[in-house]
Amino acid sequence: MSTVKQYKCPSCSAGLKFNPTVQVWKCEYCFNEYDLEELEPNRAAEELPEEDIAELDSYRCSNCGADLLADDTTSATFCLYCKSPSIIKTRFSGRFKPKYVIPFKLSKETAKELYRSWIKKRRFAPTAFKQQEEIDKVTGLYAPYWLFDCKVNAMIAGEATRVSSYRQGDYRVIHTKYYSVERSGEMKYNMIPVDGSIKLNDQLMQLIEPYDYKDITDFSMKYMSGFMAERYDVESTDAANAMKKRVERYVEERLRATINGYNTTRITSKSVNFNEVVDNYAMLPVYILVNKYKGNSHTFIVNGQTGKVSGDTPIDRKKQVLFALGIFAATWIVAVFGGAFFV
Amino acid sequence: MYKRIAVVILIVLISFTISSLAHAQETDNIYDYLDYLSSDNILSLQGEIDRLKSKHGLDIAIVITDNTEGKSSRDYADDFYDYNGFGLDDQYSGLLLLINMDIREIWISTTGMAIRIFTDYRIDRTLDRVASYLSDGDYYMACSIFLSSVDAYAQEGVPKGQYNYDTETGQKDYYDKRPVTYTEKAVAMMKSPKVYIVAAALALFTTLMLSKSSKGKQTTNKLTYEQNGSFTLRNQRDQFIRQSTSQVMISSSSSSRGGGGGRSSTHRGSSGRSHGGGGRRF
Repeated sequence: MSTVKQYKCPSCSAGLKFNPTVQVWKCEYCFNEYDLEELEPNRAAEELPEEDIAELDSYRCSNCGADLLADDTTSATFCLYCKSPSIIKTRFSGRFKPKYVIPFKLSKETAKELYRSWIKKRRFAPTAFKQQEEIDKVTGLYAPYWLFDCKVNAMIAGEATRVSSYRQGDYRVIHTKYYSVERSGEMKYNMIPVDGSIKLNDQLMQLIEPYDYKDITDFSMKYMSGFMAERYDVESTDAANAMKKRVERYVEERLRATINGYNTTRITSKSVNFNEVVDNYAMLPVYILVNKYKGNSHTFIVNGQTGKVSGDTPIDRKKQVLFALGIFAATWIVAVFGGAFFV
Repeated sequence: MYKRIAVVILIVLISFTISSLAHAQETDNIYDYLDYLSSDNILSLQGEIDRLKSKHGLDIAIVITDNTEGKSSRDYADDFYDYNGFGLDDQYSGLLLLINMDIREIWISTTGMAIRIFTDYRIDRTLDRVASYLSDGDYYMACSIFLSSVDAYAQEGVPKGQYNYDTETGQKDYYDKRPVTYTEKAVAMMKSPKVYIVAAALALFTTLMLSKSSKGKQTTNKLTYEQNGSFTLRNQRDQFIRQSTSQVMISSSSSSRGGGGGRSSTHRGSSGRSHGGGGRRF
């Protein structure tokens, strides 16, 4: 069995890519379109093995036979020589077999447009970040995500005060009543995403949330065709800890919101118990652009489904200082020569 | 020609008057024709005057008389100052305190820089203090209070926004000359630190605003991943524990007395010099 999978156009045998705009596989050569059923009449033959397949030292493009350049975590890529979309099957098998996928909905062009308007607003971003060749580096990537379902039992307790005051002669009399408050409750959370890649910045990945789960579907490798994909390198137990921290915050906010009618509330103790934590491995779409500036990487990420953006850009000190001096000089000129009319 | 003769006659008359009253106690700056001050008092006042003269560059004279030769206190004080060679520097800066016992009036006459320093408001304040001692007949204290007032105001210098107001023509003459032409105004603006502060603040503000590039908007919250209707509040307890009462004094705001304006009213004396000053009965 071949370890590298390539989807080919049934009509002309060219490499097939998933097209986010029309949500079908479209041949770029003969313009034929295929949906999931048409592309794979014999579904059973494509089933991914449930057991891990041993990793190979190198993978070859099944189209031209060249070595595929791939990191340890790269699961879908393009052949450097013939540009055929290539999927490394071993990296979607066994414990790396995703349960769900949200297919790309945004085209690469839209993602570039989003980056362009986003970087335009960052006046002090280095000029290199704004050049077309840089913008063209935007890449569609299926990012590995852990989606957690869990039930939570939680309690918070603290002290709250009610304050009233009135005037008595030359004095203001302040009357404070202290209460001990306690709340406990249960709630259920569904599909809390935690990115499963060490490479991807957790903060930026959280800022492109939420994904709309109405488009979530069972995983099929075919969606990977035409995009990059990574497999997870953060184990689900580690991801679960990150998820729990987040949920603890939500739970506290939720319970705290039920403490009403006080002037001050101070939480002194809390406990959060997790039950029925279920993890599901899923591939979620992002467009990503990594720029280097003075030895540091700066990442821009677009949610490949909703178009929500996040990213960090460095500040070009020279641009910043020049701008400040410009404003200073302009203000000075206006104040001196304009102001002289009014003194 | 007649005018000149008149001036000569006047000088002769005054010098005659002074010499005829030679018995009266006098020093360079103190003319006590009524012997209200003891010689010790005069010595100590003269010493203070000498000190203030060199300290502030203002001449100071004190005259106590009951004969103003038919002149008003103002004219007598101005003429006494002008015709007896008082005044330092080219503006004849200095001031004279006249105690006119004829009509129980005091008058302060100012000249040169003293007009600038002693605005109408400051003269009034000085007169207030001096007059209170004169009413009690304490001439020595009145004089030394006068000198300490002069010392204090001269130390403060010309107040902000001071101008000489010519009571005859109504013209104002600012001590701090305001720029007139556009170029002068522009140069004044260039020198103003305010312009630099405003420009720097604006530059800093806009630059910081544009530098503050957020990484993205947080659009998830505590409810994003919570299953609808799954939240149940199991237990809710609010228990009263204790209460406390405290009281705070309400402070009433106190109003401060405002100072006077920067006007120094001036008039022209018989010698042609400009004088400021003021007086009152006691």
